[in-house]
Amino acid sequence: MRGGMIRPMGPGPHFGPKMKQFVPRLPFDMVLCESAFPRVKAAPDESAFTQALLKRNADLSPTPAEQAAVLNLVTKIQAVMDNLIVDPGNFDACSSISQQIEEVRQVGSYKKGTMMTGHNVADIVVILKTLPTKEAVEALGKKVCDDLRAQEPQEVLVLTMLPNDRGFEISNSEATVRVLVTTIHQNLRKLDPELHLDQKILQSHLAAIRHSRWFEENAHHSTIKVLIRLLRDLRGRFEGFEPLSPWMLDLLAHYAILNNPSRQALPINSAFRRCLQLLAAGLFLPGSAGISDPCEGGNIRVHTAMTLEQQDLVCLTAQTLLRVLSHGGYKQILGLEGNSSIASEMSVWDGVVVSALEKAYEKPPERPPQDDDTDNMDADDDPMETTDN
Amino acid sequence: MYWSGLSAAANAAAAYQTGQTGYPVGHTPTGTYTTQRAAGSTYDTGYQTAAAAAATHSTAAGTYPSAAASATYDYGYGRTTQTAAAAAAAAYDSSKTYYAQPSTATAYTGADTHYHNKTAYTNAGAYTTTSRQTTPVVTPKTSYTSTYPGAAAAAATATYNTSPYAVQTTTANKGWFGTTTALPVYMQQTSQPATAVAAVKTPGNTWQTFKKQGTVPNKTQKPKAPPKPQQLHYCDVCKISCAGPQTYREHLEGQKHKKKEAAAKAGPTPSRHGASLRCELCDVTCTGADAYAAHIRGAKHQKVVKLHQKLGKPIPSTDPVVVGGTTKTSTTTAGTAVGAKTTTSGTTAAPTGTLAATTTTTTSDGKKDDLKEDLLDLKEKDVEPVGQEYIEEIKNEEGKVISFNCKLCECRFNDPNAKEMHMKGRRHRLQYKKKVNPELVVEVKPSLRQRKLQEEKLRRQQLREEMWRRREEERLLEEEERWYWEERRRYEEECEYLDWCRRYPRGPPGPPPMMPPGMPRPPFMPGMPPMMPMRRPDSSDDRHVLAKHAEIYPKEEELGAIQKIVSNTEKALKMVSDYLAEVDAPKEQHIKPKAKKEKEEVPKDDDDKKDGDKKEDGPPRMLKGVMRVGILAKGLLLRGDASVQLVVLCGDKPTRTLLDRVADNLPKQLAVVAPEDKYDIQRVVEEAALVVQNIGEQRISVNVTLTSPIMREQLLHDGDSQVTAVKDPPDVLDKQKCLDALAALRHAKWFQARANGLQSCVMVIRILRDLCQRVPTWGPLNSWAMELMCEKVIASAGQHLSPGDALRRVFEALASGLLLPGSPGLLDPCEKDPIDAASPLSAQEREDITASAQHALRLIAFRQIHKVLGMDPIPPPKFQRGGRFTRKRRRDNSTGEGNDSEGGDGKKDKKEDEDSKMDMDKDTNSSKHLMVEGH
Repeated sequence: MRGGMIRPMGPGPHFGPKMKQFVPRLPFDMVLCESAFPRVKAAPDESAFTQALLKRNADLSPTPAEQAAVLNLVTKIQAVMDNLIVDPGNFDACSSISQQIEEVRQVGSYKKGTMMTGHNVADIVVILKTLPTKEAVEALGKKVCDDLRAQEPQEVLVLTMLPNDRGFEISNSEATVRVLVTTIHQNLRKLDPELHLDQKILQSHLAAIRHSRWFEENAHHSTIKVLIRLLRDLRGRFEGFEPLSPWMLDLLAHYAILNNPSRQALPINSAFRRCLQLLAAGLFLPGSAGISDPCEGGNIRVHTAMTLEQQDLVCLTAQTLLRVLSHGGYKQILGLEGNSSIASEMSVWDGVVVSALEKAYEKPPERPPQDDDTDNMDADDDPMETTDN
Repeated sequence: MYWSGLSAAANAAAAYQTGQTGYPVGHTPTGTYTTQRAAGSTYDTGYQTAAAAAATHSTAAGTYPSAAASATYDYGYGRTTQTAAAAAAAAYDSSKTYYAQPSTATAYTGADTHYHNKTAYTNAGAYTTTSRQTTPVVTPKTSYTSTYPGAAAAAATATYNTSPYAVQTTTANKGWFGTTTALPVYMQQTSQPATAVAAVKTPGNTWQTFKKQGTVPNKTQKPKAPPKPQQLHYCDVCKISCAGPQTYREHLEGQKHKKKEAAAKAGPTPSRHGASLRCELCDVTCTGADAYAAHIRGAKHQKVVKLHQKLGKPIPSTDPVVVGGTTKTSTTTAGTAVGAKTTTSGTTAAPTGTLAATTTTTTSDGKKDDLKEDLLDLKEKDVEPVGQEYIEEIKNEEGKVISFNCKLCECRFNDPNAKEMHMKGRRHRLQYKKKVNPELVVEVKPSLRQRKLQEEKLRRQQLREEMWRRREEERLLEEEERWYWEERRRYEEECEYLDWCRRYPRGPPGPPPMMPPGMPRPPFMPGMPPMMPMRRPDSSDDRHVLAKHAEIYPKEEELGAIQKIVSNTEKALKMVSDYLAEVDAPKEQHIKPKAKKEKEEVPKDDDDKKDGDKKEDGPPRMLKGVMRVGILAKGLLLRGDASVQLVVLCGDKPTRTLLDRVADNLPKQLAVVAPEDKYDIQRVVEEAALVVQNIGEQRISVNVTLTSPIMREQLLHDGDSQVTAVKDPPDVLDKQKCLDALAALRHAKWFQARANGLQSCVMVIRILRDLCQRVPTWGPLNSWAMELMCEKVIASAGQHLSPGDALRRVFEALASGLLLPGSPGLLDPCEKDPIDAASPLSAQEREDITASAQHALRLIAFRQIHKVLGMDPIPPPKFQRGGRFTRKRRRDNSTGEGNDSEGGDGKKDKKEDEDSKMDMDKDTNSSKHLMVEGH
């Protein structure tokens, strides 16, 4: 699992071997080195914990009514979009966008089957062949909305433009479909920030497509979906997990469940605990190999999308929760009892005082610029980790 | 006539002097030429025959394959400095910069530009020394004619003669210079192709200057040319006339003219896509019929037409010439034959002269139809307007559209027609392509600049490739070098280790101690020394760990002192053992070897010892052996540690009596072993031990615990009934203490087997020992649990870890809840029953240690490992890189490159760049590596 005994020599053809090799290491992971730690005593009974997890999952899953509503709206919008692709002739209103939709894809939690109740929003990515000017997006939104209305005049639809120009949103009384606009790859570098949607956003929309594709292929195991839902809930309730993106959670859940010596899915209770253990052991800290993004050629560690401060925060929250969990506080962690203060305040479990942790990250002191190039070899690679992707 | 011409020419030359340095020197030759010309006064009319003669001459010469050029040169040469010919010839041969040679320059400067021409020629035809040698022999006249050999050249001048280009013909008349230079100019007009191109520019200029000089006199020769037009200063390239010689000169030197000239030189860009319309008269290319019409109507065109009328030049029809990829066909045939161009230049040549016109008419006629089609095409190809929605209508208060604003191009227009035009326009389409739909086809218009850019790009690419190749080579070299150093390092490490072993020989010297020889005796501080001076720490964490380790590692004196007291005690104990054996068994001589033999077996396995006992025939030796345990055996001594442990294995269960006997005898034996040292010995019965302490400035105590394997055997067989029957001596020592001592023995053995060989492990354990001593939270963590945990955690990494990484991993393990309830626990490998080595820890202690480790882990991750280690931060090594490069240079020298200072520095800079680049990339690269192995 870990890198081999020998460190890789020249990673790229153009870098001299003079470089200190930076081999990110996976942190300690009990599941992976179970053999080194034979159990002294039998594992404690965790059926209550497992039951609580399942119950929580049931609470979080969307109701059939919600599912039906969102499915209904998505189907309709998808049909309209497909129409536009197949028969652009009736799309005169904005002639230049006609025949310019490359592809329409469902993404996100709706596609992955990890939706949560009370958040009835499905995501659809529309890939335009043209460059996505704000006008084009607007026209497309209007067009789709008009077509929908034409189909069912009685339905009340609300068309809103998304803030920061990700696309538009069409909602009815029960569900919302977010239409995220992007463009084909080769157009990305032709973007002009003044005319078009932000390149970062467009890229993230393209990434969303890759993510849902990857998910379909690799993470269809239902334990993973359950775990994702639980982790998303955790993220929602504990402020410290805010920086974790849905994609990180997807990958973390997948990693926690499937990345083990036997390659069999771990039971949900072990997997949930393992997520906290991994985070607590610094899986998402600088210097850790973390989880390589499978949709970016394996070159990017997902956690580097967080700032160092956020990485610290996520780690310390997980560390505190892990200790609470090991002292029997799973109900508080799952939100069945109590509140989220356990992550930030001292709590007592069975006479054991569990104290919250302090941040470790400190802003690096300003250095005179001329020192920089001599220092950055060792001192600066952490900031770079966050800036380079 | 000629003479007057000459004087005029001389005057003009003098006037010219101001303009161009070096030229005036040449005016004398000019004179000479003119006289020569007089000799051949039939030049103009009889030129063709002369040319024919020249042709024959050149064939006669034989050595001139395409001799026109060389002949020309030779002529000028022989003319001016006959005497110097040979020398100059030599100069010319040796260096192609013949005309720049000072010796010839004085004579030749006037001919400078001709030589320019000639360079072109020499390119075309092979110019040989032998051919040059022959020239002086040739009479001036013939050689003169030979200046214009080849039917082509002849044709060219002929064209001029008949053409209404009065100005030009006069120059043709003007003299040798004039005519020769006229040639390139002519070429220019006819848009000469590749071969001559290079040379054209300068001659073109000279010709112009010459013309100036010739404008005043020397016209009668041309009956056709009316005197007036000669007054006109007409620039044929730019199609303009100038008011006077001054302005004309200025014009010629001007930027605009040069540009035009360059453009003309390059010829109409053949790659021009599609069809465009061209006004031949003005040399203007229009993109569309509309634009062409506008041009024809325009003032500029009218002016040119007027001028041409005035000059009597032919005015080509206003029918546009379609310039397109399809029509440009014939220009390439010219090759070296200059005059051939008359027929070739196709459409562009058409209006230049009547003769040329006649030659081209055929082609033009042939093209007429195409042309029409092209025009049609152009109209039909009416592009569809795009991007309507980006054109904003601006209305006035009444709601009437008053103007339009194109958001893409950021321009405004008031006229709806203009809007339409704009939407079809190239610029707009380009913007649309750029900003809206990249797939829109917009015809490309490669300008001269673009082409240059393209070439530039190619060139750069080549350069880059070259660079990469070089770098790759360098990299390979470095790789090699790195291996070398790696090898070297390993070698040094080994040497160091051996050295160390020599300094700390295994076991005390002298008589064999009581220590059983079979027991693999570890070096005093095993594992450690080879690592310390050797490792070249790389990461900041490693450096901190190493620095901290160096800080807590005991000093040489301390180690020496401990070594001394321990070995003295061991020797003394052995003597005590001998003494006791002597007292107990008078037949000592027989027993001793046996006892020794038995001793060998002792350490092998505690559990096997009963076998040894059974084999024993005589009364067993009471003290069977002494062994080091604890930090002493494991090499975990830290600075300030003043207490070490020895375990004496007894043949039977140790009793108080035995302890007393040993304690009584030990001082005597110690006095024998080390007479000069004073030792204080105390009995600690409750610990089943006695303590040997030295009396000196360094108080070091050695705890000697008595124990026996039998104690554990009994325990192991506790379940069996018969064991309980074993009678215990009444004053047997504390059982637990004896068992602990046995466990310590097993731990030491385990440690040597498992932890010692593990990279970084001992170092991390020492660091953690220090942490446990320093931080109260960590105090409760017993050292055995800690050692066990470190070993398991580090070994389970499955790869070699640097000290920094190893320490971090230990904290990671603790942070992930290794000690928390619910974890598997630390199974003690040295006990028969599954026992958690960390079982003494309370839940709160576990919690606190975990929390502390969690914080420590984040501190390490965020570069504050010094806080964890309780030390000052170490600034990043300033000279680390320097050091590395010294190494590099050393090697450079050894390979004999000898570029240490400059080359080395240059390399260093590059390396530094790479360093930082590498820093950026290493994450990604190495995680890629991980991905590969990860799944």
